Amino acid sequence: MLTIELGPGGEVQIAGRLDAVQAATAQTFLDGVNGSVALDCSKLEYISSAGLGVLLKTQKRLTSSAGTLRLTGVSKHLRDIFRYSGFDQIFQIEIAGD
Amino acid sequence: MSDDSQSRALYATDMATLLKVAIHLSESSDLITMLTEVVNAAKQVLHADASSVWLYDVTTDELVLHVAKDLEPVRVPAGTGFVGTCARERQIINVPDCYADPRFNREIDKRSDYRTRCMLTLPLVDHKDALVGVLQVLNKANGVFDSSDEALAAGLAAHCAIALQRARMTETIIDGERMRQQLEMARVVQMSTLPAIMPTVQGYDVFGTFRPADLTGGDTFDLALFDQGMLVVLADATGHGIAPALHVTQMHAMLRMAFRMGADLETAFLQVNNQLAENLPDDRFITAFIGILDVARHRLRFQSAGQAPILFYKAQSGRCEQHSPTSFPLAAMPISRLKPTTELEMAPGDILVLLSDGIYEYHNRHDEQFGEQRVVEIIARNREKSMTELSSILLDAVSVFADGAPQEDDITVVLVKRAPVAGMAQRAFERRIDELGLIFAFTAEFFERNRIDLSMLQVVDFTIEELFTNMVKYSRMSNSAVDVRLTPIAGGVEVDLTDHDVDLFDVTSAPDVDVNRPIDERTPGGLGLHLIRRMVDSIEYQYDAERRQSRTTFRKSLKED
Repeated sequence: MLTIELGPGGEVQIAGRLDAVQAATAQTFLDGVNGSVALDCSKLEYISSAGLGVLLKTQKRLTSSAGTLRLTGVSKHLRDIFRYSGFDQIFQIEIAGD
Repeated sequence: MSDDSQSRALYATDMATLLKVAIHLSESSDLITMLTEVVNAAKQVLHADASSVWLYDVTTDELVLHVAKDLEPVRVPAGTGFVGTCARERQIINVPDCYADPRFNREIDKRSDYRTRCMLTLPLVDHKDALVGVLQVLNKANGVFDSSDEALAAGLAAHCAIALQRARMTETIIDGERMRQQLEMARVVQMSTLPAIMPTVQGYDVFGTFRPADLTGGDTFDLALFDQGMLVVLADATGHGIAPALHVTQMHAMLRMAFRMGADLETAFLQVNNQLAENLPDDRFITAFIGILDVARHRLRFQSAGQAPILFYKAQSGRCEQHSPTSFPLAAMPISRLKPTTELEMAPGDILVLLSDGIYEYHNRHDEQFGEQRVVEIIARNREKSMTELSSILLDAVSVFADGAPQEDDITVVLVKRAPVAGMAQRAFERRIDELGLIFAFTAEFFERNRIDLSMLQVVDFTIEELFTNMVKYSRMSNSAVDVRLTPIAGGVEVDLTDHDVDLFDVTSAPDVDVNRPIDERTPGGLGLHLIRRMVDSIEYQYDAERRQSRTTFRKSLKED
């Protein structure tokens, strides 16, 4: 299950599991986002390579027009994933508790 | 005394004699003594000078007279002479004046220097109407044999017949008993070589048992640990009686010796075969399954000399595989080169089932055989049980099926099971991405049930999702379900995904991604696997070309950081 919506502060709140089944839903939502946006990952329980693909595609689009996706509330596990995948060189990442 | 009362008085005396004789006859049981008793009884009751008893030999259709201990008995074909005719027609023949009767052969008298005056010949028939022999009495004192003598003789004959029959049967029983004892001794030798205690092997449950049939069979089995591994043998020597029991005992000892001396499977098999080909008679051979189980690598290697069926129950599929012999029976002829050894991998829960013909070919009163199908069903239904129990269940089922029909052949059971891993769980998932939800529920429940540290769950799910979605996307030729198997290991879990009806597609062979490229050069491709390699302990791909089956296995456990 996945919910993805705009939060009170204009950040995108993503909650649940971003897996191959939910990837399309997430992509559709993020395709409507522009500029520099925070993605609050504190309730993101799980991300698979399909989910990483969604984030990558979104970031490519945003950075090509001087925007960016800032990932906040990132858990240790997510941080490992972003590090191994080199996403920490592509995104600005804020660990949970910052 | 009047004639009437005189004859009645005589008759009473005769009856008393007859009764006394009858009682006497019932006492002894050995045949030679009995013959003498009967001869004496006849002379006494009938006041005859001489008497002889001829025994009927049903195999040659002759009447046989035992003259004296060390002399050849006299044989007369049934239908020849008085004795032979009496045997055929089962009628009393009374000859009051032998020399006046053209049927009488005076040669016999000449040979024995005797003058036969009158003669009574009567059949000895037992209560089941079987011909036991013929009784002849000669030369009645003071006269000839009359009708009352005939009646008396008939009464005596009845007793004699039964007594003689009983004596003969006792001899047969004694002979049979002697034979049975010899067979018993051979059986004792045969059974003394069977393992008394099953070997204890970590991670395995092994059992073997042997049920000899009465007279037939030369089965044997062995389960024994050597440096090379555990020896597994089931063998069956041709023929009945003592010989096969001894042949198979030879084979048993030879095998043990070979392995004890460090021989490998192929050398032992070849040498034992060739030695037996020399030792055993030309028409004898032994079917034998001879295998070595590497209990650490869970690999069973075997050669089977005509011993079949070889059933291998696979826990994963729930089905029995059938394997073929690799050679003709042992001792048939020398071998110079063996066919390849068969190798089987024993997965947790798998069972090797070796049963001798005595089970498969056991037939009931309707001439139906127990057969392979019944065995396969029983194994599948009882796969969770211990091998000791499974063996009992099999034997009981045969007994019920037999419904009183006798066991005609030795029955031998050998069962080798690799223990299922406690906590192991396996489920099949359909080839659709939306099955992922069910897969994640499966892994979550498994972690909880086996109390595996939940911090590893995300990595496990990530990896399974990657592998599963790849199978769905890239192996479209298959419609088969994907099996996901989870096994607890020290500190974590082992996962394997098995796909069927697919071509080789090793997702683990994809190259690493260069994660340092700038964003516009980055693609999602290969990222999943790149991450997997860094997050799991190990990952392997195996492909079985014959079965078109692929398996990817990975392990994740907590490391001491």
